[in-house]
Amino acid sequence: MELLRPSSVSEIPSNSLLLAGGTEVVPLLQDGLLSAATLVDVRGVVPRGVSGNVIGAGTTLGELEVQPGIPDALREACRLAASPQLRNMSSLGGNLLQATRCWYWRLDYPCRLHGGDRCHAREGEHREHAIFANDFCASAHPSDIAAALVALGARLRTNRRELAVEELYRLPDESDRRTTTLEDGELILEVELPAVDASVYLKAMNRKRWSFPQVGVAVARIGGETRIALAGVAPIPWRIDGIEALDTATPLPRTEWKLPLARALVNRALASLG
Amino acid sequence: MARLIRTEKEVEGRYEEVWLVVEEDPLEQWPAGPREIVGRPATRKSGPARVRGEVRFTADLKLPGMLQAVVLRSPYAHARVKTIDLAPALALPGVRAAIGPGEASGLEEEIGYSGAAVAAVAADTFRQARAAIEAIEIEWEELEIVLDADEAVRREQFTAPPRQYERGDVDKALAEADVVVEATYRTQSVLHNSMETHQAICEWTGDILNVYISTQFIWGVRDAVAETLEMPPDKVRVVCEFMGGGFGSKNGPDEYTFVAAELAKRTGRPVRCALTRREESTAAGNRNATIQRLRAGARSDGTIVALDGEFTNAVGWSGWNASTEGPMKMLYDCENVRTVTYGAKINTPPMKAFRAPGFVEGTFGLECLVDELAAKLDMDPLELRRRNYAATNEGTPISSKELEECYRRAEPHWERRHEVRSRSDAVWKRGVGMASQIWYGGGGPPSYAWVRIGSDGRATVITAMQDIGTGTRTAMAQIAAEELRLPLDKVDVVLGDSARGPYASISAGSSTLPSMGPAVRAAAADAREQVEDIAEQRGMPRDAPVHEVVDLLEDAQILGKGARGPNPTGMSVLTFGVHVVEVAVDVETGEVVVDRVAAIHDVGRIVNPLGASSQVEGGVIQGIGHTLSEDRLLDPETGRVLTSTLDSYRMPTIADVPEIVCEFVDKPDTHLTNLGSKGLGEPPIVPIAAAIANAIRDATGADIYELPISREEMLRALERAKEKERRGAPAAV
Amino acid sequence: MSEIRLTVNGEEHILDAAVGTSLASVLRDRLGLTGTKIACAEGHCGACTVQIDGVPRLSCITLAHTVDGEVTTIEGLRDHPLVEAFVRTDAVQCGFCTPGQVVSAAALVAANPEPTREEIRHAMAGNICRCGTYPKIEEAILTWQD
Repeated sequence: MELLRPSSVSEIPSNSLLLAGGTEVVPLLQDGLLSAATLVDVRGVVPRGVSGNVIGAGTTLGELEVQPGIPDALREACRLAASPQLRNMSSLGGNLLQATRCWYWRLDYPCRLHGGDRCHAREGEHREHAIFANDFCASAHPSDIAAALVALGARLRTNRRELAVEELYRLPDESDRRTTTLEDGELILEVELPAVDASVYLKAMNRKRWSFPQVGVAVARIGGETRIALAGVAPIPWRIDGIEALDTATPLPRTEWKLPLARALVNRALASLG
Repeated sequence: MARLIRTEKEVEGRYEEVWLVVEEDPLEQWPAGPREIVGRPATRKSGPARVRGEVRFTADLKLPGMLQAVVLRSPYAHARVKTIDLAPALALPGVRAAIGPGEASGLEEEIGYSGAAVAAVAADTFRQARAAIEAIEIEWEELEIVLDADEAVRREQFTAPPRQYERGDVDKALAEADVVVEATYRTQSVLHNSMETHQAICEWTGDILNVYISTQFIWGVRDAVAETLEMPPDKVRVVCEFMGGGFGSKNGPDEYTFVAAELAKRTGRPVRCALTRREESTAAGNRNATIQRLRAGARSDGTIVALDGEFTNAVGWSGWNASTEGPMKMLYDCENVRTVTYGAKINTPPMKAFRAPGFVEGTFGLECLVDELAAKLDMDPLELRRRNYAATNEGTPISSKELEECYRRAEPHWERRHEVRSRSDAVWKRGVGMASQIWYGGGGPPSYAWVRIGSDGRATVITAMQDIGTGTRTAMAQIAAEELRLPLDKVDVVLGDSARGPYASISAGSSTLPSMGPAVRAAAADAREQVEDIAEQRGMPRDAPVHEVVDLLEDAQILGKGARGPNPTGMSVLTFGVHVVEVAVDVETGEVVVDRVAAIHDVGRIVNPLGASSQVEGGVIQGIGHTLSEDRLLDPETGRVLTSTLDSYRMPTIADVPEIVCEFVDKPDTHLTNLGSKGLGEPPIVPIAAAIANAIRDATGADIYELPISREEMLRALERAKEKERRGAPAAV
Repeated sequence: MSEIRLTVNGEEHILDAAVGTSLASVLRDRLGLTGTKIACAEGHCGACTVQIDGVPRLSCITLAHTVDGEVTTIEGLRDHPLVEAFVRTDAVQCGFCTPGQVVSAAALVAANPEPTREEIRHAMAGNICRCGTYPKIEEAILTWQD
C-alpha cells in the first residue's frame, strides 16, 4: 500500500481510496472491509474552515462544534456526534460518507450492501435498524450531520458538480448497492448553507454520549418553510414533510419502538422552533 | 506449633473443604474505629507510576525474540472439524509453528460455540500470524444449533444436573397466603470487556515455564497449567504485577495460555497470545442470561410466607450453574422456599464468573418481586424488607450482619422520595427505589505473607498475590504499617510473581482483603515481636521506633511470616447492603436517567476508605451499564456474536454517572480473622439493577421485567402500565 | 516501506514503516513508549489517546504516515499537575485507561483551566473506564490546581 498526500485534485489517481480524518476508512482498512493499493490523504486538497455560509468539507466536527456563526442544528449535530477524539479527527465531508453501523454489514456478512442477496437484519437481529425504506436493506444511516444538513437545505460542491445534499444519497437497489451517488474520483469540497431563520437538532441515544442516533431529528425554518430530516430511521438520511409521515413508516417487529420516539422528538423539535 | 486442620473455604458462593496448616494466632482484632493508618484514606502506592503510564501490563511486555500467536476460531456455533491442513499456513512468511485440535488444551475438534478455538499459529508479527490463520484449510461438518435456553431445558441439555432446593411446604403456604405475586424476569448476557484483553506470554527457560499473564489468580493459573501440562507446579512460574481488569473473567489460564506454552515449546522462543477486542466478546466469558419464573406469597401483615423460583441460566456450551437462586434462599426470613435451577447447555459462548455471578441476576428478580409484593400489600417497600429480616442464614448463625443498620442509614435517603416525586412533570416522571444486597465476602485460607525488615528501618511485605486494580496492594501496606507502627511510606509491598513469594488467594469473590489481609497482619506481628525482643535486649522500651531498634542490623534482617487462619466454624460469613436510587423517566421517549445512588454497605472493617469508595462507585457504574445499556446480542441464525465492538456494546461513559453517595457501616466482623474485614469487590454491583427498576415503578407505575432497560423496554413497560389502567386494574404504585 | 518523521514529546524520530502502520504501534513497538495503551484497536475506547499539537486524537486509527504536528503522549505529561491530582483523588484503579484519561484531561484544562462538571463530562466522554473510576476522574480535573 502506498500513501499519497497531494495538494491538488488533479493529482488524485483513479481507483484510489480517499481519506481525510480516517476515522471510518482506517478501521475498515484494518478490518479488511476495505482494501486499496493507493491511499490518498486529501486534507491538502479539501478546503477547511468557515467563510460566511460556506464550510470547507475538511473542517472537523470538533471545529464546527464551537463555531458560533453556523445554524444551531448543525452545531448541535456536531456536538453530540461520536466522541471528543473522533470529533477532533473527523471531517465534515467524511462524516457524510460514513457507512451504516449495522452489525451484519460491519462483520462482513454477505448482505445486500456487500453485494449479496439477503438482508440479514430483516430476518435476524434488527433492533437498532430502520423504520422507513427498509424492504431491501434495513440498515440505519448513522450521521447526525447529514440529517441536519438535509433539514437545512444545504448544497454540496464537489470537484465535478453542485448538488443538494439529499442528492448525495440514494437507496440501494438490486442493480446498484451504493447508498451514495459520488463517482470514482469525485470529492466533496464545500458545503453551502442558505440563510436559516432557526433550526434545532434533537438526538436520542442509548447512553448519554458517544453513541450513534437511535433517532435523530433535525428541523429548520427557512423563509416560510419548515424542513424536517431524520437520522437513524432509514438507510439514508430521511426527509419527511411533516409528522404525519410517521404514519407511513414500515417498522420491523423490533424497530416499532422507534416510532413513538420519533414522534416525540419531531413534536419537541417543532415546538422548540415556535 | 503447627497444626493440621480441615476448614471451609468459600469463593463466590461455592464452598469447599481445605486442609490448613495453622500456627497459633494470638492476635486480637483492633478495636473498632479508624486507627493511625488502617481506616484512614490512603492514596495508592502504585498511583504515580500507574497514572504516568510507567507500569507494565502483560500487554506491554516485550521479550527478546517474542513471537505473536493468533488463534483460529470457529465461525460456526456447533460443528466438527472433519479435516484440517496447517501446511498452507506454515508455508507463509514469518510463520514459525502451527498447531491444531488436541495439540494444546483448549483447541477442540468438536466446538460448541462461535468463537471456540480450533487451531493456532505463531509468527514473527501479528499481521503474519493473522494471514497464516486465514490460510489454514478446514473442512467443517456443521451440527444442529440450539440457542434458546428454554429449548435446551426441554431437551434436558444441561451443563450439570439441575439443582433443587426446598424448605417447608411452598404449595401449601402459597395456597394460604393472603396475597400472591407472580412474574417472569429476564436478564441479558453481559460482557466483562476489561480494558486489557486476555493474554499471556509463555517462555521456557530450561524446564521452567514462565507465564506472564493478565490474571486474577496467579496460583490458580500455576496449578492449572502444571496439572494440564503434567509438570511439577514449582516448574511453572506465573507473573502478573499489573493487570487491566478482570471482573471474574481472568480466574484461570484458558486456551490462549496453553496455545502460547505449546507454541513456545515448539519454537524455542517466547510466544504472546493476546485476544483482540473482538475475541473478548466470544472467547472471554460473559455473565449468562437468565429467565426467572418467580412467585411470592405473603400474609396481609407483610410476612413473606412463600418464595418459589424456577431459574434458567443460559450457561452456554460449558461453564458452571451460578446460584441465581441464592438471594431467594438467603435474603429473607421465609419458612417455605423452593427453587430449581437449570444450567442450560446451548451453543453460545460459555459463561464465566462476573462480579457476584448469579446474585446480581437473582437480586434483580427477587427485589423487583418484593416491591411488587409491597405494592399489592400497600406496604412501604423498606418496611416490608424489615419485617422479613433474617437473623440467621437458613438456621446457621451469621458472623456479622449489619443489614438493619444499613436500613437505618437508608432512611434519610428513602425519605427523599416525597420531594423527588413532587418534582415530576408531564414529561419527566421521578421516583425512588431501593433494593437489598446479600453476598459472600469472607475469603478463606490458605494465604501467606512474609515481612522483611532491614537496618534502614523499612519494611517490605513479600507476597505472591495480584492486585487487580482494587487497591489491595495499598491496603496490605496499611495493615503492615499499622501493625509495625511504621509510617506508610516506609512500607513497600512486593507482589505478582509465584516464584518470589508464598501462596496467595484468588482476587475474585471479594476475597483478597479478607484472605490476604490477616496473613499480612500476622506476618507483620511476627516481625514486630522480633523487633520488640531486640529492643528489650538493647535496653530500649519494647515499643521503641523500629528504625532505632534495627539500626545496628547491617546485613542481618528481621523476617516475619504469617498465614491466614481458619474461618469461624459453624458460621456463615456474608456481606450486606442497601441501595436507594433516584431516577427520572422521560415517558415520551423512554429515556431513563439515574440521578442519584445512595450505596450503603456492611463489609466489616474498612481498611482504606478512599479505595473502598472507588470500589463502590465502580460497582455501581458497572451495574448501571448492565441495567440500562449493555447487551451481548447474537445472530439468531448462526449464533455469532453481533456486539463485538465497543461502539455496539455500550458501557457507561463519564457522562452517564449519577451522584453517588457512599456509606460504610464499618463495624469489624468480630468473628472473622485478626482483621474483621470482609470483601467489597462485588457487593456494590448486586442491588443496583433492582433499585433502578423499583425506582422506575415508583416514578411511572410501570413494571420492569427485563434487562437491559432500553428505551424499547421502557416504552413497552409504559404501554403495559397504560393498558393496565385502561382495564381498570390499578397500576402498581 | 517509507520514511516517517515524528516529533514525540519534543524529540524527533526518523524511522521506516509500512504504510498502514498506526501511530499507536509506532509509539509502543518502535519507540518503546508503552504508556499509550491499545484496548480496542479500532477507535472506540480512547485508551490510545495522544495529543497532536495539543488536540486529543486516537492513535490506534491514526496512520503514522499522516501525522503532521507534535505528538504528546502520557510520557510527555509525567510532570503535569494532573498526575498528582489523579493520585490524590484516587482516580485510578486498574490503570489501563488512565494514560488516555490524563492526556484528554490535560488538553481540556489547557483550553479551559476551570471546567464545570458538565464540560468535564462532555470532554472526557470518549475515554472508557471499565472499572468505573469516573467520579474520581471528575474530581481530579475539578481540583487539579489545588
